[in-house]
Amino acid sequence: MSDFDPSRRRLLGLGLAGLGALGAGPLLSACASSAGTGSTPTGGGITLQSNLTGAAKSGLEKLVADFNKLGKGTATLNTVATEIYRTQLPTYLSSANPPDLYTWYSGSVANAYSRKNLLLDVSDVWQGLGEYTPAMRNVSTDETGKQIFVPMNNYWWGFFYRKSNFAKWGVQPPKTWAEFLTLCQTLKSKGIPPIGIGLGDTPWVASAWFDYLNIRVNGAPFHRELLAGKQRFDDPKVKAVFAKWSEALPYFDPKGKAYPFQEATTALLAGKTGMFLIGTFLADATAKDVVEDLDFFQFPIIDPAVPVAEEAPTDGLFASAKTANPAATKALLTYAASVEAQEAYVANSSGIILPAHPKAKASDMPLVAKGKAMLAGAAELTQFFNRDSSDALQPTADTALTRFIDKPDQIDAILAEWQKNAEKVFKG
Amino acid sequence: MTAVSSTNSTARRRRSFRPSPLLLTFVLVPFVVESIWVFWPAIQGVFFSFTRWDGLSAPAPVGFDNYVELAGDPVFRGALGNTVLWLLLFGGLSVIGGFGMALALQRERRGVGIYRAALFLPVVFSLVVTALVWRVFYQPDGLVDQVLTAVGLEHLIRPWLADPETAFYAVIIPSLWRQIGYIMVLYLAGLKAVDPAVHEAAKVDGANSWQRLWHVTVPQLKGVNAVILSVIVIDSLRSFDIVWSLTRGGPYHSSELLSTYMYSAAFQSLRLGYGSAIAVVIFLLALVVIIGYLVRAFREES
Repeated sequence: MSDFDPSRRRLLGLGLAGLGALGAGPLLSACASSAGTGSTPTGGGITLQSNLTGAAKSGLEKLVADFNKLGKGTATLNTVATEIYRTQLPTYLSSANPPDLYTWYSGSVANAYSRKNLLLDVSDVWQGLGEYTPAMRNVSTDETGKQIFVPMNNYWWGFFYRKSNFAKWGVQPPKTWAEFLTLCQTLKSKGIPPIGIGLGDTPWVASAWFDYLNIRVNGAPFHRELLAGKQRFDDPKVKAVFAKWSEALPYFDPKGKAYPFQEATTALLAGKTGMFLIGTFLADATAKDVVEDLDFFQFPIIDPAVPVAEEAPTDGLFASAKTANPAATKALLTYAASVEAQEAYVANSSGIILPAHPKAKASDMPLVAKGKAMLAGAAELTQFFNRDSSDALQPTADTALTRFIDKPDQIDAILAEWQKNAEKVFKG
Repeated sequence: MTAVSSTNSTARRRRSFRPSPLLLTFVLVPFVVESIWVFWPAIQGVFFSFTRWDGLSAPAPVGFDNYVELAGDPVFRGALGNTVLWLLLFGGLSVIGGFGMALALQRERRGVGIYRAALFLPVVFSLVVTALVWRVFYQPDGLVDQVLTAVGLEHLIRPWLADPETAFYAVIIPSLWRQIGYIMVLYLAGLKAVDPAVHEAAKVDGANSWQRLWHVTVPQLKGVNAVILSVIVIDSLRSFDIVWSLTRGGPYHSSELLSTYMYSAAFQSLRLGYGSAIAVVIFLLALVVIIGYLVRAFREES
């Protein structure tokens, strides 16, 4: 009966078959790495498993090609689609013959793998990285104090807008929360939905609002503790975050619930929304001349007494503890952390990113200089909800935040449920 | 089969007791393949449902904890309710629609092939493609909104897939759009087998067309109905792709089915033990329905 669509047959009792697929995972990843690992301990090939596509992929290709010219090892790049990568990464790392290197996130995500002894100790690579900022070193260090991550770049989040549109509407970027609400009011009176958002398919975008409001109202240390399970989501301090959010909620674009952030970006660029709290990756698929018209302002200050923190997700590389060729793996990491490699990487990937090495030159766009200055001026850096907690906690936030945006009056029930779901995740 | 021929065949079978190597290959190779990719993972799934497992460390046995948690989990209850509702709506409407279409298109007429092909076309598309097309229909200012505006019903416009009141139904429509064509084809085949002589006789006896449909056609479709019932039950329980590609079970679990909840529990929250427990529940549900059907079918045969 299922002749018409044989693939669906495998979906029967999807759980059972699906879980079975996990069992087959190690086989697959072993295949992926079979070209890389094995052979002689030095000079043997290493595999770099990557989820970077588009512009960033060409940057990484360049990095691998340049590394191979150095004669310290032969690396091959293996690119996997992000959604598959995200679900398969644990399988890659725990397989018997894993790929050597991985593009992924620093902070608690890397730390969680390190806790299971799956990541290579790269402290000796870090001995040569004295010029890196303490913040970069912190996000690359696990809880036992060893380094497990080498950062390549970071980027920032902010309220992006088109300069030409703000000029047309006769408005200025705000500095404080009160000014921000006034700006929203002005835009709304002109018939423009002030705040764009894209939650359809990409509900995690809402977490930026939660992160920023929390670090502005309660500060970064509380935020980190909350995301690590040391504070409760039904705490009155968390409720205060949503009270602030409620003030801005009437100004959200109602259509934003239905479309993904890519379409929300299009709406912003077309002048259908006023501004959009998003990461610099919004520029990835934007025409060059339009990018020149883009500007951003920092998330407004709510409580001047709270030290200013900014979201700066850090991307980079970590390595498998089971790599067959640690020498070449570390050589590649050392090269990737160098000024020269990072400048080439940034130049070859057209996205708006900042190199992790403080001496590496970023793109000379004014927008990039402004973003870099904002991060440099921040007292603390956070990354993003899932990167500061775990991918497993992210769905609990998605549920709570989209429900809040729909039904803000149910906040007590929402927070109680969020706490319950978070406890399940922390429990495992 | 007469008594003579049956003794003959038994005798023949006894004489050549050893099955041919070809037959063995045809039985054993699929069995081995199924064992590795279906039976073994299925057994493992049951085992995992009694553990707590994040996919990284060794699974830790927790006894019936996952099932106890399921019983008190409002999201699971919602997903179970949605799955039952899905079964009723998706199953019921696709049978009514498919049977209606089959009746309308059963007579060979000029151009009827075009209509049949048009109705069957959605079955050919992958569900993910179907979902992409429908997402464009549903998007803000998309086709649905334009049509509503054109007929003066713009006050009804809402974010169809993002509104918890409508998301579930907005997902059911595309899956029906597809399933109706499939059921229609099954009924068309069934209607071909209906004996026209019985119809003639009923006509001569003065039965009107409604009576002929209800008392002549429908009873003869019993075999097809049984097939369709099992197809619908299985299709409902494994409905995943269309829901996942349109709403991912959201917004906040309002269109969650057991299958999508299982996936997100296992692969997003990385609670593979809990996800396995949901999978076992799905398996048991399917088993109950299928065994129920088999028992009935056997009873009728004897």
